[in-house]
Amino acid sequence: MLKTQSVCFSYDSSRTFQFPDIQLVEGQNLLILGQSGVGKTTFIQILAGLLHPNSGFIDLNDTKINQLSSKDLDHFRGKNIGMVFQRPHFVKNLSIIENLELSLYLSNNPSDKKRAMELLDQIGLADKYNQKPDQLSEGEQQRASIALAVLKNPDLILADEPTSSLDDINCQTIVTLLKEQAASTNAHLIIITHDQRLKNEFNNTITL
Amino acid sequence: MNITRLSWRNLTSSPLNTTLSLLLMTFGVGIISLLLLLNNEVEQQLQRNLRGIDMVVGAKGSPLQLILSSVYHVDNPTGNISFEEANELNKNPLVESTIPLSFGDSYNGFKIVGTTHDYVELYQGVLKEGQLWTYPLEAVLGSAVAEVNQLKLGDTFHGSHGLVEGGHIHDEHTYYVVGILEPSNSVLDNLILTNTESIWLVHHPETDHHECDDPDHHHHEHDESTGHHSNTDMMITSMLVTFKSPIGLIQIPRKINETTNLQAAVPSFEINRLVNLLGFGVQTINMIAIIIILVSGLSIFISLYNSLKKRRYELALMRVHGASRWQMVQLVLQEGLFLSIIGALFGIVISRIALFVMPLFLDLKYGLNTIPIGLIKEELWLFPLALIIGLSASFIPIIQTYNINIPKTLSNA
Repeated sequence: MLKTQSVCFSYDSSRTFQFPDIQLVEGQNLLILGQSGVGKTTFIQILAGLLHPNSGFIDLNDTKINQLSSKDLDHFRGKNIGMVFQRPHFVKNLSIIENLELSLYLSNNPSDKKRAMELLDQIGLADKYNQKPDQLSEGEQQRASIALAVLKNPDLILADEPTSSLDDINCQTIVTLLKEQAASTNAHLIIITHDQRLKNEFNNTITL
Repeated sequence: MNITRLSWRNLTSSPLNTTLSLLLMTFGVGIISLLLLLNNEVEQQLQRNLRGIDMVVGAKGSPLQLILSSVYHVDNPTGNISFEEANELNKNPLVESTIPLSFGDSYNGFKIVGTTHDYVELYQGVLKEGQLWTYPLEAVLGSAVAEVNQLKLGDTFHGSHGLVEGGHIHDEHTYYVVGILEPSNSVLDNLILTNTESIWLVHHPETDHHECDDPDHHHHEHDESTGHHSNTDMMITSMLVTFKSPIGLIQIPRKINETTNLQAAVPSFEINRLVNLLGFGVQTINMIAIIIILVSGLSIFISLYNSLKKRRYELALMRVHGASRWQMVQLVLQEGLFLSIIGALFGIVISRIALFVMPLFLDLKYGLNTIPIGLIKEELWLFPLALIIGLSASFIPIIQTYNINIPKTLSNA
């Protein structure tokens, strides 16, 4: 389960963010809506352990991630948190399947090409496994980036504006995929977005 | 997929940058390596041919010329000296042995040297066939002489006047091949040996019909100042001397130079002088090569720096996937080290290839391909040098990688 409490962050004295407390039980998802500038990305980076909150804590399955050392945090993040970004990014010199294998290697998971191929099959990219990321369309790239985020069976999937640059059809596909993958690995899914199209997809919603 | 394979993939994905950095490193290291090999070979050749010769006695002139002509057979002799006067040296208790040398004639560009059997022994010459000379005009050929001129045992030839081709042919005296030597990797290989009397015989009794027309030739100069009427014609070119003890080295050369008409030169001293003279040129080329290596370091730095600027987001992404700072440092460092070490290895290989190719273009009489192609110890410092270049080129990119601000990089992408 995921629990945050009194998380507060400031870039400088004029820009301080106070984030609402979150508590997600097993298998529960969350949509966080908010306009630009309310600290959406900041919040997701704090949840991912990329930014240190000034106060409060984030507890994922009984680990207070903001209290880990930087080295342990890298390790913990790699093992337990999958991230999907607004614009998909890859190691561009590697093919899609190699990107997947690299993410397993970096998160200290054993190499598992079979699972990677299964996953690509599920998201409809099995025939593009050997292509370089920039040979894929944007929708395909976003799907591949979901594969990258869920491959290592994380406990928490964080998606930062995953649909805002996509058309309606692709948007629907991505949300469905994210929910499916989160359910299949029993992970919490948190999507942060200003994309109102997603409002009706989730019953657990907060607004920043 | 792991960090090392990713480093490699990043290098092969930008072939132009990689090739430029590699080429610069290869050429820098290659030039230094080639110079070291040649320098090493020259020094070894110089030492090898020096053998136990402590002192050379010859006519007055340049001591370096005396050494070059009498020990290495690469320059013209300084003149002639009286055999009898030179032989006085044998009476000195500090002298171990002496070997007389007489030359001035050649056959197809190969020097004919009148000497004693001791000369062959000095260079540990081994007969391949036949025997050493016993009578005048019997000749023993160095291995290269026999090979180039296709001479066999029992063949005959005429010496020509002077040390270059095209001199007057001494056709009244015929040399007869009685022996051929094994290759010895010394001056012997390129010499035609006979006894001292042969030289005297070819040039005496005098007719003087070819005197003064060739400065290379000195057997006809009559040194009246010796005063030994009966022996004025018994001239030799020089005498190689070995001492019983180092004390000889201190006393004898000075004594000869101060009190006689002879000149004494000490080979080890003259060779040091020569190597120092050559060393200046070698150092200049070395400097140029080191500059090329430094430029290659700069090129490695620029290509790492540029690719890092483009791949900043990738590094942040990999950190999000769980990579540690040090894994990312390893990634960048390996790219720099791959370039420098592979460049250095290529350089070492290129210098060996150059050794084989150079003789084809430079028309060298004696091939360089006898040079052993193994690593020489002077070359070993090229690897630490390449390593340091690779490390320093990677230094700034590594600092940037280590201190990468993941949230900011991700937000700005």
